Amino acid sequence: MGDLGQQVFFLLLQLIVLTLAAPLVAGITKKTKAYMQNRLGASIFQGYYDLAKLWQKPTVITAYTSNIFLVAPFIYFISILLAAALLLLGFSTNNTLGDIFVFISLLAIGRFIMTLSSLDAGTSFGGMGGSRELYISALVEPVMLLAVLSAAMQPGTTSIAGMHINYTSHYFTISSVLGCCAFFALLLAENGCIPVDNPDTHLELTMIHECMTLEYSGRLLAIIHLASMVKSLLIINIFSLLFFPVNLPLLIKIIITAAAIAVVESLNNKMRLFKVRFYMMTAGVLLLLAIVAQ
Amino acid sequence: MNLMITGFFCYILGMLTVFLPKRREIWAHYLAQGATILGSICVFMSSVTYLLTDMSCPQSICVVGNFSLAMDSWNAVFLAITGLGGIITGVYGLGYGIFYQGNRLRMLSSLFTAFVFSMVLVPLAQDALGFLLAWEIMAVVSFLLVNHEAEKKGVWQIAYQYLVMTHLGTAAIMIAFLVVGSGSPDLQFSSLAMGTLDGGTRDIAFLAAFIGFALKAGLVPLHVWLPNAHPAAPSHVSALMSGVMLNMALYGFGRFIFSFLGPIEFWWGLLVFSLALISAFAGALYAQMATDMKRILAYSSVENMGIVFVGMGTGMLLLTTNQQELAMLGFVAAIVHAFNHSIMKTLLFMSAGSIMQGMSGEKNIEKMGGLGKFMPKTALFTLIGVMGLAALPLTSGFVGEWLTFKSLLHLVNAQAGTGFRLLAAFGFVSLGLTAALALGAFVRFYGIIFLGRPRTNLVEKAHELSVSMLIAMGISSFLVITMGVFCAPIVELAIKVMNKTLVKLPALTNNLIIMSPTNTGTGIYAPLALAVLLVILGVILYGVIYKKNLLVKSDVTWNCGTVSTNRQQYSATGFSKPVRRAFGAILKPIRQKSYLQKSHDYFGREVLYKLSLPDRFTDNLYQPLQHWLVKAAAFLRQIQTGSVRLYVGYVMVAMILVLIWGAMYHG
Repeated sequence: MGDLGQQVFFLLLQLIVLTLAAPLVAGITKKTKAYMQNRLGASIFQGYYDLAKLWQKPTVITAYTSNIFLVAPFIYFISILLAAALLLLGFSTNNTLGDIFVFISLLAIGRFIMTLSSLDAGTSFGGMGGSRELYISALVEPVMLLAVLSAAMQPGTTSIAGMHINYTSHYFTISSVLGCCAFFALLLAENGCIPVDNPDTHLELTMIHECMTLEYSGRLLAIIHLASMVKSLLIINIFSLLFFPVNLPLLIKIIITAAAIAVVESLNNKMRLFKVRFYMMTAGVLLLLAIVAQ
Repeated sequence: MNLMITGFFCYILGMLTVFLPKRREIWAHYLAQGATILGSICVFMSSVTYLLTDMSCPQSICVVGNFSLAMDSWNAVFLAITGLGGIITGVYGLGYGIFYQGNRLRMLSSLFTAFVFSMVLVPLAQDALGFLLAWEIMAVVSFLLVNHEAEKKGVWQIAYQYLVMTHLGTAAIMIAFLVVGSGSPDLQFSSLAMGTLDGGTRDIAFLAAFIGFALKAGLVPLHVWLPNAHPAAPSHVSALMSGVMLNMALYGFGRFIFSFLGPIEFWWGLLVFSLALISAFAGALYAQMATDMKRILAYSSVENMGIVFVGMGTGMLLLTTNQQELAMLGFVAAIVHAFNHSIMKTLLFMSAGSIMQGMSGEKNIEKMGGLGKFMPKTALFTLIGVMGLAALPLTSGFVGEWLTFKSLLHLVNAQAGTGFRLLAAFGFVSLGLTAALALGAFVRFYGIIFLGRPRTNLVEKAHELSVSMLIAMGISSFLVITMGVFCAPIVELAIKVMNKTLVKLPALTNNLIIMSPTNTGTGIYAPLALAVLLVILGVILYGVIYKKNLLVKSDVTWNCGTVSTNRQQYSATGFSKPVRRAFGAILKPIRQKSYLQKSHDYFGREVLYKLSLPDRFTDNLYQPLQHWLVKAAAFLRQIQTGSVRLYVGYVMVAMILVLIWGAMYHG
């Protein structure tokens, strides 16, 4: 019982730390980007300020919407938190819950409910975002599972802890480098970063994720933003645990990855929507090579 | 077994209601449905009772002459599926049948009972003849049910297509039985299981059985009848066809694989595995393209039967390696998913039926939208079913898919070498694609029907229908959630069933799947823990987010400063456009755009836009086949002159040939 209590304690601690740290990691990415563009940029704590501002603002809701629209951000956030509960953060070495398939499917809950809510306001922007999100996910999901296979085949387990322990003895092999490149490409797509999606434009037509959440405002929007930040931190975390080919402390790996995202984002353009399939195919081929090379 | 026999009497009683007078057809209907429900309860109870025993010896039900009915570990699962499906659709049919009043209602209800009864007899039969008889009754009764609304445009063509296809399947199964039975004294299953076949004949038997059962299960490319026939039938019948009848194919295929065919060849497994993966992918892709509500569900059945057979195929492939105990996992995944799919698909076909009746017979989702406000309870139940079919965690749809992924992973380490790795990679990619496309298909299904604004004024007239339909949907959506959260007993039961069915193999202990958190090395799926966490987080966050002065104002939708109309919403066709374009090479959509009236270059143009997505398999496989068949028949007609003397000559030539052949090979 004491063991269980300890585990539950670590679990909750992990959830709180991940939620609180997520805006900071996003801030690091933003700051690096500003540095790349020779700008001073906002403070790395800007994410917190934005959330606090949005939290206090009133929420405007369309008359056509149903309850799905109201609860969607809530369910999205909870599904991300459940996924966060499966991760390994260094507090305890065996997180018995952490299965990678369950992790990926929990992320799918968020996608499901957010795309549903995008159709709820009865506008063309929402539908556009939702349909694009589903198109991107249809390309990302198979490659993501291929990445899972390449990380899980050697240890023969799908537990994140087990895969991580096995990975620590295979740093910097051919397959791990290939896997790293491919998963980084996946990470950019899954987090809505530049070659695939650009959240910073000022035209709804060019965005995917922001286009989907166009009808949200105030506190509900704050929750969606927070959930997205936690989600991208989770994927960065998976990358650092299972695909980062150099042995460093977890925290440093996360910071390096966050900065690397900013570098890649600054050096690239957003690609056309229908070019994304070739981008994902490249990642898939790299992973296939990684699987064969192991 | 008394309970089972009682169930039989209930079914027979229900079938006899067709003879009640026409002016009492409502009573006949209630009687038939009631008898179906009672009979299905008996079947369900007795099969579950048997599943809870240790199942070491088969339980005889009754013996009539050469025919015998008995329950063993493998068919008890399918009896439970049929029983549950019969109960739920029976309750639903109580209310749904009323819409067929004055439209051969007595016939519909008694055929419905006969359909359930035939699906109880198929698994129970213990000899080839009895099996084929029951199989044929099932096929003919379901044909009559598909054809029930024959006055509607296009229904009878669909029904006859179904009849032809299903008979092709029956013929293949008959061949399989004949080949398997060629060496055994009689056609009892126990003697067929002796396994006296050698190499080549086993291959023929496997191929024939696979063709026959894959046709029934709707595996690509034998699926063409399925998306036509399931939407044409009345909804409670479609629910049974998709939810229960498809599983009969799994039952029969399992019988052949586990008992009649002997050791599995590698290429058998490969064939099943690849076709199943293609079916899963194609089913999900076409489900995202269809705009007929029931067609979407029918394609989703193709997808899910694909996933079930991926489990079977993985199991068969693993049986050819030297880690045979892992093969169990694939088979366990197959039955768990078949069982869960049966409930989810029944639920969704029932809600499709409710929507259809509420919308005065409309099936096209492009004409819906915002239905959630008019049918709130149906919307809730459908949401649960949709979540299940999108394979989200904590619903029952996820369990089977998770187990399938697990068994695929074992494929990598079962045998050294690149071949198995690539097979596993193929499986992972296709199943990942399938999962994402299915999620998209069901977001589209639910979102276009229930969310947004009404697209036609049919929607505003819709309202909830009878209580019995809501109760049936409520029961099954409750089951979808409970079986998703408390999935461990079901998986354990499935493991037990497989251990008893494949006694030759080393038993699979639970540790290999790891549903229990004792083993730290392997990934587990602990839905109960997740559910508890979900509830705790939900309660805390709900309080934080929604209770504490959340300001909500209502205003019009942002539409760049203009007032939006309901025509500006995304349509179902538009919603799936990116995927259609990305997979355009596979789907080959045909677009036609023409200007009807072009008075001005930019304004006031009337555009006609037509999009059609012909089924590639019909066009490229079946039509050439049909063409070739007709040509061959025309060619052969040349020898049919109608002259009796010529026919006597044919007989003589044939006899001489037979005599020569006999003298050469058996002399």
